[in-house]
Amino acid sequence: MTNEQKQTLMRERAAALMKDGAVSYVIGWRETRFPGKTAIFFVRDEKDADMLVWDEYTIPLTAKYLTENRWPDKKIGIFARGCDSKAINRLISDNQVERENLYIIGLPCEGKKDDRCLSCTQRDPLIYDELLWEPENATGTSETDLQRARFFRAEEVESLPTDARFAHWEDVYARCIRCYACRNVCPVCTCRECYVDMHRTGFQGKHHDAAENRVFGVTRAFHVGDRCIECGECERVCPMGLPILGQTQKIIKTIEGLAGTYEAGMDPEADSFLGKFDLDDKDTFM
Amino acid sequence: MTQKLLLKSALPAALTALLADHAVFAPTGEAERHAFTCLSSAEASETADAVNLDGLTTISPKEILFPRSETLYGIGLENGEISTPEPTGPTVIFGVRPCDVRSIANLDCSFLEKGFVDTAYVQRRENLTIIALACKELQSPACFCDSMGGGPASAEGADIMLTETADGKAFLVSFLTAKGEAIEKLWETASVLTEPNSADTAPPPPVCTLKVDKPQDLPAKLMAAFDDPAWERLSESCLGCGTCSYICPTCYCFDIDTEISGGKAEQLRCWDCCMFSDYSRMAGGHDPRPTKKERLRNRFLHKLAYFDERHGRTLCVGCGRCIAKCPSGVDIAHVIEWGGTL
Ligand code: SF4
Ligand code: SF4
Ligand code: SF4
Repeated sequence: MTNEQKQTLMRERAAALMKDGAVSYVIGWRETRFPGKTAIFFVRDEKDADMLVWDEYTIPLTAKYLTENRWPDKKIGIFARGCDSKAINRLISDNQVERENLYIIGLPCEGKKDDRCLSCTQRDPLIYDELLWEPENATGTSETDLQRARFFRAEEVESLPTDARFAHWEDVYARCIRCYACRNVCPVCTCRECYVDMHRTGFQGKHHDAAENRVFGVTRAFHVGDRCIECGECERVCPMGLPILGQTQKIIKTIEGLAGTYEAGMDPEADSFLGKFDLDDKDTFM
Repeated sequence: MTQKLLLKSALPAALTALLADHAVFAPTGEAERHAFTCLSSAEASETADAVNLDGLTTISPKEILFPRSETLYGIGLENGEISTPEPTGPTVIFGVRPCDVRSIANLDCSFLEKGFVDTAYVQRRENLTIIALACKELQSPACFCDSMGGGPASAEGADIMLTETADGKAFLVSFLTAKGEAIEKLWETASVLTEPNSADTAPPPPVCTLKVDKPQDLPAKLMAAFDDPAWERLSESCLGCGTCSYICPTCYCFDIDTEISGGKAEQLRCWDCCMFSDYSRMAGGHDPRPTKKERLRNRFLHKLAYFDERHGRTLCVGCGRCIAKCPSGVDIAHVIEWGGTL
């Protein structure tokens, strides 16, 4: 099936859902002024559906937009590829959205024209109410099939000598402008009030300098690390082109080293690795 | 006004001459690292190699006049001694594009006009000489400066204007103000200028491909549309990040905070952004702009209506940075066009 045929199916389906009044809106993608760049779009009535697009540039994650409406009157319709579905699973297990509030239209993905899709492990949706077309590849992409190592960004840094690694991160923090786009786009960065925005608590200084940027960068990475679904949105939105996906990849890689295979967002019931607590824990520290 | 010729081969000498008694900022680096940096005099000829005059910098040069973070004053915790930062000396920005030069007039409105002169800003501004560089080619498909009152060859606000010759080997140089003439003398002494001959001409400037129909009465139209449901649509993809404000040459919002460290309390001023959730939050927690719809509406009304009402200028020079860099496809040109249809 061509992208155009898939796009037609999406438009028809969204229009039908709006016509039936089954959902309050459907979250998908539209074109922008520039070829090669799409944006998130809300289908709010039948007519809007014709603005939906599906091509190799429908890259932004739809799932984060669910957190803007936590108690919808009606179900929210959402188009979900593999990455979006992992994000939805995490949002459900993090108690950010309720499954029954969603109507998920699954879209098996052929991989987009974006770097991060080369190391995508999950092109087919994991959670959905309907699949709009049949998957072309087997569910999931096995590690050996990946066009690039799953933890490619972390491994770039690991390959550097220790001093150079330090210099690498200092360069990142010197160039960060703290626009917080990485935080805002991340589907697992869902605190209702971020510590950064807690006025005059002193948690996060206002200075724009490497020291304050480091506080934010490290806090962000650790706060989302074990729940990171490896979607790469944080890198996509960074206006300074900073390679921050390496931070959470490193955390996941470390978890895998300690506890075996681990991938966040594969199951809506799964706890996050660091969010688990066992009363019989042998460790007396807790 | 006389025009001189500055051969590109004489650029290192021209920069060295400036570096003798100025701090010199020029674009260096590539891609996301393309930014105005302070050239160091120690390596003047190498610095000339580092200068990258191709394209628009990722971040605008506004931070030279309006730093991301600056200490206004400090107080010693033990002795109560008040310290103020060292004033900056003569400064040159070299190779500023016409849109970014025009944006400085906007900063001047905010920091110098309406009966209030910002001490820190005026000190830097008076010491600043602007060497502009006309655009021989469009910098990006998002450029729309010629719809916003400027243009790829606009010299408005420049002390010196550089225009690349057709053969790409030199710049035609116009010295437009007294500050510009002071540099002319400096360059004459350093023998870096030559007389242009008839073959040294500049090609016609490019025309922006993004055309935005901006009506005369845009401020009134947009303000009348304050409650228009379209704001919901315009803001639906917005992430509420600070990208657009921080890369914009004209955005000038700041916050003032205190930091205590090293036995000193410092009052600092740093960039802030109207798209942030804590920006308009008041004591007691009330926020008159509670969601991204109100925040985005405020951002565009400030740029396209409120600022115009107060200062008679649009707070957008059409550099296109925010359109190109917004991760969510929010587009100020689209808002202007929509305003025109109202
Ligand atoms: S890759 Fe980045 S944006 Fe995506 S879940 Fe991980 S931290 Fe969040
Ligand atoms: S308009 Fe774009 S750049 Fe600006 S806050 Fe919204 S998402 Fe960020
Ligand atoms: S609002 Fe956008 S286009 Fe206008 S000056 Fe600022 S960054 Fe440039």
